[in-house]
Amino acid sequence: MKLIPDFSRVGRRKLIWAIVAAVVVVFFATLPFYYDVSEGEFGIFFFTVFIYGIVAQGWNLVAGYTGQISLGQNAFFGLGAFTTALLWFWDITHTGYWFDPVLMVLSMVAPAIVAILVGLPLLSRLRGDYFSFGTLGIGMIISVIFLNGGRITGGSEGKLLIKVMPEGVEFNLQTHYWVSFAVAVFATAVVYFLTTSRVGLALKAIREDEVSAASHGINVLKYKIMSFAVAAALAGIAGSVYCYYLLHPMPMNVFNMNFLFLPLVMVVLGGTGTIVGPWIGALIVYLIAWYGDKFFSGWHPVILGVVMILVMLLMPSGLAGLGEKLPHWGAGGSVGRRSK
Amino acid sequence: MTSFIQVVINGIMLGSMYGIAAAGLSLIFGTMRVIYLAQGTTIVFFAFVTYWLFVKAGIDPYLCLLIVVPLAFLVGLFLFYTFFRKAAALEDKNVSLLIAVGLMYLIENAMLKVWSANPRGLDIPYADATIAGWGLRVAWVRVALLGLAVLSAFVVYLFLKRTRLGTAVRAAAEDMEATTLQGINSTWVCAISFAVGIGLAGVAGVGMATVYSFDYQFGFTFAIKALIALSLGGIGNVFGALAGGLILGVIENLTAYYISISWIEAASYGVFILVLIFLPQGLFGRREIVKKV
Repeated sequence: MKLIPDFSRVGRRKLIWAIVAAVVVVFFATLPFYYDVSEGEFGIFFFTVFIYGIVAQGWNLVAGYTGQISLGQNAFFGLGAFTTALLWFWDITHTGYWFDPVLMVLSMVAPAIVAILVGLPLLSRLRGDYFSFGTLGIGMIISVIFLNGGRITGGSEGKLLIKVMPEGVEFNLQTHYWVSFAVAVFATAVVYFLTTSRVGLALKAIREDEVSAASHGINVLKYKIMSFAVAAALAGIAGSVYCYYLLHPMPMNVFNMNFLFLPLVMVVLGGTGTIVGPWIGALIVYLIAWYGDKFFSGWHPVILGVVMILVMLLMPSGLAGLGEKLPHWGAGGSVGRRSK
Repeated sequence: MTSFIQVVINGIMLGSMYGIAAAGLSLIFGTMRVIYLAQGTTIVFFAFVTYWLFVKAGIDPYLCLLIVVPLAFLVGLFLFYTFFRKAAALEDKNVSLLIAVGLMYLIENAMLKVWSANPRGLDIPYADATIAGWGLRVAWVRVALLGLAVLSAFVVYLFLKRTRLGTAVRAAAEDMEATTLQGINSTWVCAISFAVGIGLAGVAGVGMATVYSFDYQFGFTFAIKALIALSLGGIGNVFGALAGGLILGVIENLTAYYISISWIEAASYGVFILVLIFLPQGLFGRREIVKKV
């Protein structure tokens, strides 16, 4: 295992990727200037892609880089959405802005704290499939608690936030687009810097061989909980932004299994354990869902199921994994991919 | 006291459904380490098949068993050879998990589109017949369901213990590599255990159709319940899985009666997590199996 990054390889390939990333970021950041995102259909399209992609990026960190298949992401998403909704509705923080940064940060902190509390018993005792089952169970319990929250959470009705809109705010999708894009960049940056640092090395070591990682002096539990909590925080902030779009979060829609399985498919389709994989996957999966719904109304979950199966049968390492097999281009795209 | 016994009895009847599903999952998971998350949806599918056989052809649901179970067996073979043959051999179990999730999406939404979202239930002439005594009442169809569960668990048990193929399945569950070295065709063994697992889903589907009204999205929750039953009973033990299902049913009914119907899910998932953490081998399982996972 190399502990010192090999600087001699930082050359053309990294530069090219930095330029590509910059162009993509600038393109999406300036899109509202030459495309009407609030009226055109691609505004809402990209907004949804960003939301799912953020959750996917978080799942990528915990499952792709650390090798812990968490099946509780929808619970953290819902938890984030409800943190925003409840703090807003009961006006606890007295901030009351539109896209309130305080609420968004708190919506990251709350799922992260829950993830740490839950992760301590689960991650210290359970491995592999059993950990997946445990997170699934925790997710279900969290959603049941919100369903039975009575007056505080609004039960199955959720909270109607339109009644408590801040004054002078107009619902404009352009704001949603920019905020979700900013959060998407933030999420990607967090995962990128975490995985390219020493932490990332530790996570990958845990993924490859837990016992060996522990014998090399890595505190396995600490790093596992860390990646689990960061993934939960990212799902939470995505839920928070989504809550500003929904304005009526109900347990039925924010704890929906789609927020677990779709990000999962996106990551696997794009390539697990790569930084661009989740975004490629998010774009493709949502394109399929979007046009599937348009042309074969109601059939798009069936199409998604077929795509999921085909991807798993034909290229289980995802599109980014496919790129690795090609001789030249794309090989550098999988940052943090296990090196031979 | 009478109401308590009645609640427990109802729980056992409910749990027998979970038991059959869990036994199927146990076979599949035991040999291939594949979590077949689409089990519940498959059960709903066979419940629909039973429903249509009853409505269109007027076949008694219990006679349907003779059609549905062999059909389910064939469907299982088909599913295995098309989807799981390669994936089951991979070290990375996410692949097979995701194929199962994909299948679940596919079957569930296809059922929604083709057969609509209306809940269905069979209108069996003898559905109201009950056994009553000591202040307790149990519907005959539910007793039949329990009987079906016990019978199918017993048949699977005999298959595993008394036949050559069953012995091969048990050996594969113990150590797949060594089994292959003994000259046993491991693909065929996996196919058989998968098909038997889906066959059990067929039995559960018929049972579901006779007792409950069901709709297309019942499957996912049901698969999770089967998983809980499996973890309770312990992997690699058909009767354990059945007992796990019965216990889960009793827990659910007791929660519904003494606390509230809306906390059922929380109770069963809470039990699930506690069992996973403190008793990973289940109540009737062996410790070594857990260590291997």
